[in-house]
Amino acid sequence: MRHFRTLLAHELRAAVLAGGTWVSAALFLALMGAVHWFAVLDGAEAPQTATPLEATFQLFWIPLLCVLPLLTMRSFAEERRQGTLAALLTTPASPAAVVWSKFTAVWLTWLAFWGAFAAFPALVAQRLGTAGDFRLGDPVVLGGGLAFIAVSGLLHVALGIFCSCLTRSSALAALLTFVGLLAFTAAGGALEKLPIESWEWLGWLREPAAHLRTFSHMEDFTRGILDARPFVLYASGMLLCLGLAVLTVEGQE
Amino acid sequence: MADAAPLPEAAVAAERLTKRYGSLTAVEDLTFSVAPGEIVGFLGPNGAGKSSTMRILAGTMAGTSGRAAIWGVSVALEPAEAKRHMAYMPENNPLPEDLKVEEYLLLRARLKDVPADRVAARVAKVMEDCDLARRAARQLIGQLSKGFRQRVGIADALLAEPKVVILDEPTIGLDPHQIVGIRDLIRSLRGKMAVLISSHILHEVEQVCDKVVIINRGRLVAQGRPADLRRELIPTANFTVVTRATLADVTRATLGAEPTALVEALGETEGWTRYRLALPAASPARETLATALIAAGLPLREIAEERIGLEDIFIAATRRAPAELRRP
Repeated sequence: MRHFRTLLAHELRAAVLAGGTWVSAALFLALMGAVHWFAVLDGAEAPQTATPLEATFQLFWIPLLCVLPLLTMRSFAEERRQGTLAALLTTPASPAAVVWSKFTAVWLTWLAFWGAFAAFPALVAQRLGTAGDFRLGDPVVLGGGLAFIAVSGLLHVALGIFCSCLTRSSALAALLTFVGLLAFTAAGGALEKLPIESWEWLGWLREPAAHLRTFSHMEDFTRGILDARPFVLYASGMLLCLGLAVLTVEGQE
Repeated sequence: MADAAPLPEAAVAAERLTKRYGSLTAVEDLTFSVAPGEIVGFLGPNGAGKSSTMRILAGTMAGTSGRAAIWGVSVALEPAEAKRHMAYMPENNPLPEDLKVEEYLLLRARLKDVPADRVAARVAKVMEDCDLARRAARQLIGQLSKGFRQRVGIADALLAEPKVVILDEPTIGLDPHQIVGIRDLIRSLRGKMAVLISSHILHEVEQVCDKVVIINRGRLVAQGRPADLRRELIPTANFTVVTRATLADVTRATLGAEPTALVEALGETEGWTRYRLALPAASPARETLATALIAAGLPLREIAEERIGLEDIFIAATRRAPAELRRP
């Protein structure tokens, strides 16, 4: 991992200079801007159970499925297509350093996107002249929501990196990531809808299912509840995906 | 101060290297070596297993069995250490299109463990050596011509002053001027680095290399200095003679000098006939043939020994039957 910093600096620089990153950023901010604005409008029209910021975070899956695959798809697929991955691996840099640097670069880019979103509640408050009204931009909700994005992003980005290792086609990598993220997010959501508690024969599923409830994790985070179990889930999932990615890259050597 | 580490016997060593892709054997039981500072041509027809062998040696692909070592370090067991001694330019020389030449070389220098205080100087040196400094340093690699891209690949290979350089088809797609430039550059590495170079341009290899290794269907068919291989693989020395004498007279005079010689008439132009005289390569008559023909009173206009190039050696070596290859 001695070359991690060199590779990370290169990946971050490449991300900043890539047109695709800026297109993704524009798409992300447009999506989140629209989502947040409609949440504010809904809140203005009728009483809601969630504040506009909470409602916006509940729709985190929209940019997750639409934008994150665009960030991860090129990381390995494009390098494999061009043959530059093989050339990179002729240097003393290890496959692990390559995988971790690409993962960290995309994860930081993803956080930067969400960091830019953090300005929205302030912009809305300024526009509406309600600065200081925490119902529009509660710092606990904002901080908790961003912490959820950072923690869950470990697994989400790692899954995208792993999918990008599997193919030379960026489009296929994006599709695989989309399906993987959809399956993971929907699995948690579907399990939440199932009345597992009332089905005795599914009793063994109760405990694992509780861990997979992504939306519950998000709600806990936005309420300021920090539980260790989501950290373990997302961190171990990240390690699994990145481990598989390292093995895949080594196997392609 | 500690003594410098002793030179290994072989800078590159392939020992019984085998690579199989399913039922297809790309490289089989291949053994050869490159001495420190030596330039070795790695030859073979298309699909002979050259690129597979080079990729195994470079550590970008695992062999099925056998041992590959760079500067005495096993490529399979200590890949990072082996790569520290070696640079590899793959066939087609893949390069990132969206980086400038200088940026790319700076990145590669850092990844190749060039000391931080020497990175800029090394990049400047290789760009100068490869004629990139003036015209290409600040250009995007994606905008470079094929020749300049090859230069970037070679500059990258030389960046960390490795002990071993492996170049897979470095002159492919270059024009004659560029080929001469690359050839001179590679020649300048003699004695400084061990170079293993594959090329289809045998004339180039012959001009640059100390030794050649020839493989066919994944197996070694010949290795050694071109002069030694010439003696081993081509047992006859051919002379071209142009004279007005008849076939009978030429045959009589030639057999007088070498009783096992063969004479063949190639064609006649304006009364002058061109003959080919084939003598055993080891025959002392090679040195006295001209004198013998003149002494026999033949009206000679021309006599010359046909030059046996690497191309002839290559063809002779790659035609050898598998049974012959197994002969000790």
